[in-house]
Amino acid sequence: MKQFNISRILIEEGAEHDPLAKKILRRLPNIPIETVGPDELAPSGDIKGMDKESLRLMRFNGEFLKPCPGTRGYICCGYQILNVGTNCPMDCSYCFLQSYINQPSLRIFSNLEDNLTVIGEIIDSSPDRIFRIGTGEFTDSLSLDYITGWTDFLLPFFSRKKNSILELKTKTSSIERIIKSRHRKRIVIAWSLNTPRIIAHQEHKTASLKSRILAAQKCQKAGFVLSFHFDPLIHYPGWGKEYQETLELLERYIDPESVIWISLGSFRYLPDLKWIINRRFPGTSIFNGEFVPGLDGKFRYFKPIRVEMYSKLSQRLKKWHDDLGVYLCMESDDIWRQSLGWSPESSADLCSYLDSRVRNLVPD
Amino acid sequence: MERELLKSKASKVEISDIDLAPGPFSMSFHFNLEPLKASINRFGVLNPPYLLKNSDSRFTVVAGYRRLLAVRELGWTDILCQIAPDTFRPFKALLLNLSDNITHRQLNTIEKAMVLKRLTRFLKREEIIADFMPIIGIRANKQTLELFLGLEELEEAIRASVAMERLSLRVAGLMRSIARDDRLRINDLLTSIKWSFNQQWEATQWIIEIASREGCSIKDVIDGGEITEVLNSQRMNNPQKVRSIVKTLRARRFPTLVETEKLFRKGLSHLSLPLGVKIIPPPFFEGVGYRLEIVFTKGQELKGKLAELSRFSGLEGVTDFWKGKEHR
Ligand code: SF4
Repeated sequence: MKQFNISRILIEEGAEHDPLAKKILRRLPNIPIETVGPDELAPSGDIKGMDKESLRLMRFNGEFLKPCPGTRGYICCGYQILNVGTNCPMDCSYCFLQSYINQPSLRIFSNLEDNLTVIGEIIDSSPDRIFRIGTGEFTDSLSLDYITGWTDFLLPFFSRKKNSILELKTKTSSIERIIKSRHRKRIVIAWSLNTPRIIAHQEHKTASLKSRILAAQKCQKAGFVLSFHFDPLIHYPGWGKEYQETLELLERYIDPESVIWISLGSFRYLPDLKWIINRRFPGTSIFNGEFVPGLDGKFRYFKPIRVEMYSKLSQRLKKWHDDLGVYLCMESDDIWRQSLGWSPESSADLCSYLDSRVRNLVPD
Repeated sequence: MERELLKSKASKVEISDIDLAPGPFSMSFHFNLEPLKASINRFGVLNPPYLLKNSDSRFTVVAGYRRLLAVRELGWTDILCQIAPDTFRPFKALLLNLSDNITHRQLNTIEKAMVLKRLTRFLKREEIIADFMPIIGIRANKQTLELFLGLEELEEAIRASVAMERLSLRVAGLMRSIARDDRLRINDLLTSIKWSFNQQWEATQWIIEIASREGCSIKDVIDGGEITEVLNSQRMNNPQKVRSIVKTLRARRFPTLVETEKLFRKGLSHLSLPLGVKIIPPPFFEGVGYRLEIVFTKGQELKGKLAELSRFSGLEGVTDFWKGKEHR
C-alpha cells in the first residue's frame, strides 16, 4: 500500500474528542501535532501550495450527503456526494479542487461517523429511490484509507442500505483494507483510468495504469462490483492509439460482466483553474487542445473533438461487451446522440438508466 | 506614528551622503522628473524629504525619493531634510512613504506592486489583502495579490511597458510562466504596435500554446513568416496589422474550430440568402440552436423578406456542416 508523506497534523479545537480523530492519531504516532482554531489557516506558503503534507482533522458543519451540483445545459447523472474530507495527497495537474476548494491541507471530517445516523435516515426516508453515493468527488476514496479507515465503517454501513450503493473512486491501488473487509454488498470499487502518458505527465503520485487494473482485478475476484471512469479524457497527438491500448489492457484483466458502468468525460475547466494550473505546473501541455467556452462557462474541447473521442472509445468498449453501462459525464443531448447513438435526453432519465443498472447488477 | 515623527529633526544633508537607490521604502518607478525639476527651480523644495541614518552614517530615503533625484539633477550639493529618530521602525517608515505618495499622486501598476512587495516583509498576506489593497485601489483578493507580487520578477522593459499601460497587467502575469527571452520577445511584439488589452491577452496565450502544441519555440512562432510579413507590411495600418496577426494566430491555435467555421460559411454560401439575412451558428457551435438575423427598415420590408425566405429552397439543408469530419 502506498503511503504518502504526512509531515504534520493540525487538529481543530473540538475535533480531538471525535473517535475518528483519535483513531487517526493512533495510526500516526510520530507526527507533530498542532491545535488550531476553526478559521485559523496554518501558514502554508502561497497559492501554489495545496499543503498536501498536512492532515487537518476538523468537524464539518455542512451537509454530509449532497447531490452533485451538475452543470447548466448538460445532462447530469444524479450522483450523491458523501463529504468525507477534501483534497488528496496525489497531485493531478488538472484537478478541479485546486480552484474549487480555497483552503489548503488534507481535510478529514472527524465527525463523519456521528453523522452516519442522519445519512441513514435520509436514505431510509425514500425507500423507492436509489441513492448512488460516492466519496471520490472532493478527495480520492482510498488514498488516505490507511490513515482514516473510512472503509472500516462505510462498507458495513452501506452494505446494509438496500436502496443505495457506495462507489469508492480511486487512482491508487490501495485495496488492502477493502479486500480484508467481509462486506461486498452494494459496494462499487471504481477506478479513474487514463493513458500511461497522461498518468505519467499529469497524474502525479498516482498508481500506474497497470497497477490500477491489477488492483481492480483483485477486487473483482474478491467479489466486488467494479466501475471505471475515463475522465478526464485528454486530446493530444496519438490519443486514439493510446486510449485504445489502455482499453486493451483493461480487457485483458477485467471480466466485463460485473462492470456496473463506465463513464466518459473530457477535460473541462473554469477559467480560474487555468491560471492556477499554469502557476503550479509551468509549461504544462494540458491546455494544448482546442478549448472553447461551454454553455456553463467551463471550457471544453471543441464539440467535434469531443464527439470523436467519445465515439472512438465507446465503439471500442462496445466491441468488448455490449452492456457496460457507458455514459457521458456532463454532456448535452446532442453530444450523446452523435457519440453514443442514443441519449437519455434528460438528467432524470440518465438517473433512471443508472438506477436500473444498480437494480440489475448489484446483488441484494 | 505621529508622535515619533514629531521627534524628527531638520538637518542639512550632503546629497552624496544619501543612498539614492530606490531602497526598502520608496515606491517610485518609471517617472518623468522634468515637471518636478521645473517646480523646484521656481519654488524650491516645499516638503523636506525624510531620511533614516544608517549605521555607516549614510542615509536611506524614507520619503522624498523623487525630490532628491530632482535636486541632484539640478546640481544641488545639499538639502534640508527631516531625519527620523534611530528608533523609527522600518514598517513605520514604509507607511510614511505610502501615505506621502498616495496623498499627492496616482501610483502606477508597478509602483503598486512595489508597495505590496515591501509590505510582505512585515505583514501576512491576509492583512495586506484586507487592509492595503483597497487603499491603493486594487481588487482585494489572493489571486490579484499573487499577480502583483510576481511583477517584480519581470525584466525592467516589461515592467516599464506595464507602468506606461502599454502592456496589460494580466499578460505580464502570464509572462512569468515563460523564459526571459521569450517574454521580452512578446513584449516587443505587443508594444511595437498598439493592441487592445484583450487582443494582447488572446495573442499571448495563443503564442505560448502554439509553441507548446507544435513543439517549437515562442520565438519561432513570432518570427515565423506570417507575423513578420504583417509587421513589415506597407499596405496595412496598425489596427489592420493587429487584426491580421490575431487572425493568423487563431487559425493556428484552433485549426478544427477555424476549419469548421469555414465549412459552415461554405455550406451557407451555396444558399445565396436574401440581402440582409444571416444565419448565425451557436457560439463555438457548442449549443444546438441557430439564429436567423434579418435586417430591415420597415415592417413592409420585413414581411417581404419573410415571404421570400419561406419560398426559398435550400433552407432545409442548413445543418451542422462539419458533422462526419475526422479531426486530428
Ligand atoms: S486523485 Fe483526484 S482528488 Fe486527487 S489530485 Fe487527482 S483529481 Fe484531485
